[in-house]
Amino acid sequence: MIALFNIVVGIAIIGPVIGFIGAPLEQKLKGKWIDVLGDDELGEGETKETRFTMEIKDGFRKTDRTYVIFLGRRNGAVVAFNPSCTHLGCRVKYQDEKKRFFCPCHGGVFDVNGKVVAGPPPRPLDRFETKVENGRILVRKEV
Amino acid sequence: MSKNPLTPERPTVAPEEEPTREEQLIAERPKLSDWLELRLGWWGFVRKNLDEPMPAGVGWWQTLGNLLLTLLVFQFVTGVALAMYYSAGPDSAYQSVQHITNEITFWGINFGRATRGLHVWGSAGIIIVTVLHIMRVFFWGSYKKPRELTWLAGVFIFLVMLGFAFTGYLLPWDQKAYWATVVGTNILGTIPGIGHGLVELARGGQEVGSLTLTRFYAIHVMLLPAALMFLTALHLILVRKHHIAGPVRPQKGPRVEFYPYQYFKDIIVVFVGVAIIVYLAASHPPALEGMADPTGTDFAPRPEWYYLGLYELLKIMPAGWEVLATVVAPGIITLGMIFLPWLDRSNSRHPARRTWVVISGTLIMLLIGLMTLKGILETPVHPKETEQPATAQGTQASESNVSFVVPLRKRVGWKV
Repeated sequence: MIALFNIVVGIAIIGPVIGFIGAPLEQKLKGKWIDVLGDDELGEGETKETRFTMEIKDGFRKTDRTYVIFLGRRNGAVVAFNPSCTHLGCRVKYQDEKKRFFCPCHGGVFDVNGKVVAGPPPRPLDRFETKVENGRILVRKEV
Repeated sequence: MSKNPLTPERPTVAPEEEPTREEQLIAERPKLSDWLELRLGWWGFVRKNLDEPMPAGVGWWQTLGNLLLTLLVFQFVTGVALAMYYSAGPDSAYQSVQHITNEITFWGINFGRATRGLHVWGSAGIIIVTVLHIMRVFFWGSYKKPRELTWLAGVFIFLVMLGFAFTGYLLPWDQKAYWATVVGTNILGTIPGIGHGLVELARGGQEVGSLTLTRFYAIHVMLLPAALMFLTALHLILVRKHHIAGPVRPQKGPRVEFYPYQYFKDIIVVFVGVAIIVYLAASHPPALEGMADPTGTDFAPRPEWYYLGLYELLKIMPAGWEVLATVVAPGIITLGMIFLPWLDRSNSRHPARRTWVVISGTLIMLLIGLMTLKGILETPVHPKETEQPATAQGTQASESNVSFVVPLRKRVGWKV
């Protein structure tokens, strides 16, 4: 009887707290197209670090957050790489002379197409959807 | 009227003796100590602790527990002080730490930098002393019957301390803090099945942001201190109940009381330990990198020195096998520590009679030690040695990427 009473009281306290703490898990992401660069600013075979700013909801506040992506043109198509290393999320850095993305944390190396060529990353660099409209490159970012 | 069988018999009251003159005085005008003794029994408690019987052969190795307790009090006091100035928000955390570091002066002395220094160096000191304490208990076999639960409480205290280190690391909201937390939370993502959910739960969303900061802060200043207080109290009660285990080979001689024999050894070790922390806090104030910049591609994050072993292990894990370094190896070590008193079936505490346990434990400690040493040796001392230079904002970035490691390497002169 005492144990049952304690369980009921425990659930009454912990239940709402678990829901409260776990609320972000239900967060639904929405895709948004962002204008990042002029189509004529990206040459064939080129890779460019580009920044864009968008409004995001961070907890209770709305704030402008700047993101970095790597844009490249491969065989005429525009590709956008997420700069987070697929190993553990460190920012990769592109070295043009070597045509490689290097991760400073655990030695991951990716080629110009984002494929892993060395180190522990388990998959290629993640990509964002891209499209070109009215001479501008747009990237779809989920927030 | 029938008599209720549950009613106890009235006890026979002995005639009261005449109070002595001293007792009369205490009853009329008691001293504060007598007044308190009557209500709290504090002197009995103090005496019990001072008269704690110590087995023959107990010495310097048994002073680490008291040092640890002192350092925990230091962390608690400095933590409360820091919390009075700290503001847990992405727009204010970094500025508040800058304010603490540079502007909190009194009588011309920078007490903010000193307090933060004591807190940061205190945390490193606690990890070192805890590891030494655990090693002493491990090699002396002091976890054996009847001290299994004392050991278990100690293991959970160690885990809570690692939790303190991880959650506290984010709070300054500088580059090092931000990127170490990005990597640290991504480690949770390597757990098959539930990893992604755990990352979001830890971060309070998809990205490291304001909810991550408030979560880590709440855990650091409320949840973990509560857990630590409970576990420390349990640990101390059990230590008092079962007393300190003596040397591996019982030595001849009578048991001695804690005071004064062991007490003075404890005092010396506590004094030296605290002096080292104060010296380091004064001579090597903790660095503050540039403010957290999620867009930064020119910062090479490295964890605090006590996580460098794991960091190095992650480097050598082949693609797809990182879960071995992030979950399996730490999980096996933690479970091994938890169940050690039951895994070690030997009746003897002597290391030679616990061969496989001692060899396994030593190999694991050597592996962690070597990996950590590798990480220390590969930690750049100067920003120009980094793979990518620190941000321009990080005015003190040259001081340290890893607060413990760089001053140590500078002093010892280690070269990669």
